[in-house]
Amino acid sequence: MKLRQIGEQRLLQVSSVLIILGLLIEIATLLWFHPLSFVLFAFVGASLIGLGIVVYLASLVFGVIPHAEGGS
Amino acid sequence: MTGLLIGQIVLTIVLASIFLFRPSVTTGAGWKIVAFIGLCVLPALCIVAGMNTHVQRSEQTQFCISCHVMVPFGKSLYVDDAKHIPAQHFQNHRVPADMACISCHADYTLYGPLNDKFRGLARIYFQYIGTAPDPASITIPGGFKNAQCLHCHLGARGFEENPVHSALMDTLKSNQMSCLTSGCHDTAHDIQNLSHVKFWSPVQ
Repeated sequence: MKLRQIGEQRLLQVSSVLIILGLLIEIATLLWFHPLSFVLFAFVGASLIGLGIVVYLASLVFGVIPHAEGGS
Repeated sequence: MTGLLIGQIVLTIVLASIFLFRPSVTTGAGWKIVAFIGLCVLPALCIVAGMNTHVQRSEQTQFCISCHVMVPFGKSLYVDDAKHIPAQHFQNHRVPADMACISCHADYTLYGPLNDKFRGLARIYFQYIGTAPDPASITIPGGFKNAQCLHCHLGARGFEENPVHSALMDTLKSNQMSCLTSGCHDTAHDIQNLSHVKFWSPVQ
């Protein structure tokens, strides 16, 4: 297995963890009727999910690089 | 609606879990598409739907009066006196009872809802980190604007046919004379005198 592939898969795992954590926080805030639940979702939950999406997109970029190198 | 959103979140968690425990499956083209849906499309939709749900929830009366300093304002909605404008509107459903606060205190401008949310965050800060003000000392910055009242009342027959209103229409529209402080509708949330008034008990 190539080093880049391992890196890509690790990024996928990190992305998954961030998204799952963010989504669990989102479920908790949806079940908690309190002004702080809005703050928790907006600043923690949504940020974690957003970061997870960014990491996933980064993993796509890493995945494309070896292919491009192979083609040149 | 919240149930559907939670279902969508659970589905996203299940998909994300696959890529957490078996990231190698993404070597296949089909799984790459599933990964894109599970790690990008669905989470993004969860953020949008979650934000939408939280914003809708923050417009509810119960949400507003869940802060300690707002409790007396919520209590004032049950004053049994027609001169109390918020109570009269709330009890007679002139505003939706479950969205009573925002109906009169929303900023009905282009960026109004956004401004409302920032003001709400400042209040949460004062509630939990700063010093919460005495409820009796709370005022609306810049005063209560007639536009809040006119948003609903302007164009209403009962309002426009009232000779006092029609005579003062221009000054009301330009906010030169306030609906509340002009001596006409001047009893709003009179929270300092809540211990001396009678309360209405809704029939369950």
